Amino acid sequence: MTEAIKIFIPNETSANSVGANLLHQIINKINNDESIKIIRNGSWGAFWLEPFIEIEKDGVRQGVSYRNIDLSHLNTIEEFFLDFESRNPFDINDIDFIKKQNRIVFSRIGNEDPLNIEYYKNTNGYQSLSTAFEIGPQKTINLIKESGLTGRGGAAFPTGIKMQTVFDQDSSLKYLACNADEGDGGTFSDRLIMESDPFALIEGMTIAAYAVGASKGYIYLRSEYPLAKDYLLKAINIASDNHYLGNNIQGSDFNFEIELRIGAGSYVCGEETAMMESIEGRRGLVRSKPPIPAITGLFKKPTLINNVVTLATIPPLLLKDQSNFSKIGSNKSVGTMPFQLSGNIKNGGLIETKFDITLNEIVEDFGSGTQSGEPIHAIQIGGPLGIYLSSTMLNTSLTIESLQELKGSVGHGGIIVFDNSVNMAEQAKFAMEFCVKESCGKCTPCRIGSVRGVEIIERLQKHKTSKEDAILLHDLCETLESTSLCAMGGMTPNPIRSIIKFFPNELIEK
Amino acid sequence: MAKHLINIINPFLDKKGGLMPALHAIQDHLGFISKDNIGELAIAFNCSQAEVIDVITFYDDFRLKAIGKNIIKICQAEACQSQNCKELLRNLTSHFGLEINETSDDSNITLKEVFCLGNCAIGPSVMINDMVIGEATIEKVVNQLKVITAEE
Repeated sequence: MTEAIKIFIPNETSANSVGANLLHQIINKINNDESIKIIRNGSWGAFWLEPFIEIEKDGVRQGVSYRNIDLSHLNTIEEFFLDFESRNPFDINDIDFIKKQNRIVFSRIGNEDPLNIEYYKNTNGYQSLSTAFEIGPQKTINLIKESGLTGRGGAAFPTGIKMQTVFDQDSSLKYLACNADEGDGGTFSDRLIMESDPFALIEGMTIAAYAVGASKGYIYLRSEYPLAKDYLLKAINIASDNHYLGNNIQGSDFNFEIELRIGAGSYVCGEETAMMESIEGRRGLVRSKPPIPAITGLFKKPTLINNVVTLATIPPLLLKDQSNFSKIGSNKSVGTMPFQLSGNIKNGGLIETKFDITLNEIVEDFGSGTQSGEPIHAIQIGGPLGIYLSSTMLNTSLTIESLQELKGSVGHGGIIVFDNSVNMAEQAKFAMEFCVKESCGKCTPCRIGSVRGVEIIERLQKHKTSKEDAILLHDLCETLESTSLCAMGGMTPNPIRSIIKFFPNELIEK
Repeated sequence: MAKHLINIINPFLDKKGGLMPALHAIQDHLGFISKDNIGELAIAFNCSQAEVIDVITFYDDFRLKAIGKNIIKICQAEACQSQNCKELLRNLTSHFGLEINETSDDSNITLKEVFCLGNCAIGPSVMINDMVIGEATIEKVVNQLKVITAEE
């Protein structure tokens, strides 16, 4: 007997944004053969191929990019198969974009229905939770410390040390808060985990909660991600039904539940203290630290706060055959980083790789250059608070250390490519405008300084040679950096300073 | 308190920090948060009306008056900037004859700007209600709106 034929049509925001849902409707409608299974898988993260439809037949799985292809004229599933065969199908694992990656955290995305918990378990899923239960909380934390994992949300703080601090607090009630408010322009790695491998996040949260002694977890999800909300709610229910959440998880004496909270369109709520305010039902005003959340966090209780990718990285760290993670990289830049290549780029998407990779490798080898075909002029790394590098700096390695040297940061791993049509003075102005819009308003330099910043840059756009305004902008940046409570005000100068330094004469002329 | 409002916010009254999910639920059911709702929420959550208004006015998603049936959000963040999203915004505002945050006279659409929809590799992106459109053009947006209106 031959195996059933499977058709994979992704259900993921980017794939759907270019027609995956529509193609699914059509193919589903013409499929009268019950032996042909249509599966809504996650995305492989090679977004330029989306909607990427695959067929698995006799153990061979191949796919075709159906970008801008209309199938509404098809009447039978056989016609679809003929159409598919005529478009030179290939195995996605054979393309360089996937082959050159080192997918550890994103090893499952794209393969299957993200809500198929049997598939999750068959691919090492929930083995690490068993390991954690076997070795106990302190040894679990030790393993995470030894792994060298740092927070992937932006601040790159050592994850194990944060966990130890929460663990050490003497409190009968502790919380875990997963920061899923992925607001940086040009980032989508958290979204991809939540939509295409949600159990990885849930298992990571469960292990982290067990290790630090938290009984309740929140996921603070931005409202711009409705499909992620859908997947998370379903995955939480499935995990509960299978005793991976709730009381006495897998027969242990550990109880843990997850509640999903939806944000309401505020960027600053991705800052951990503003996020806590928001979860507590208030305006997202930043809190001053200390006290740190690990000691006095949500509802004044010790709280472990990590972003989605950080938590989803925990299960692989506890697998016996995956100690490889720590062998990749050095110093702070240990393990893999999911870079997100976007903007004016031919082949954009998710690239999980070592940190020590050059910008050129990412943009040319993975991305194949600009989409417009025009030369690259600037690349912004690390979101709205990240620096712009010029096209002469493509040899820059993307380690945490090398970006720090340039007074920037890897941040959440966003890499945005601009071609030569970009106006760098406009980009500098946008950095201040974004701060005007998204400042929580608590600190004066951020709230008012950003407004003044826009005004100064507008004047400089008219008179690039104004020494007075150049000095004023310099002073303003210094004030923002040194007197703001959080990174919103503190790091807004970063993109502006990088433009002054790496793009001479484009904002300020000497 | 109006009976329907109690039904809407009831699941959140015992939750810690339940005001935000309650506000979302009211908007999902009623479209916006009315002056009456504010008073009722203050009583239900045992806080002042000022605190309720505080929260509503901080967040972009919450609104105090009705807007269009379909919300069109045009991404203006950096990745979409590199793909000419400013031009797309100008084209869409002039096509619909609306400014950002304006609602059409027939209450069918409201235009909004948004900063990042997480669809950055295939921008520019526009979101209509819960649906994201990649490589967005004015034609794609208008067509999708037609599909939605036809389904109603």
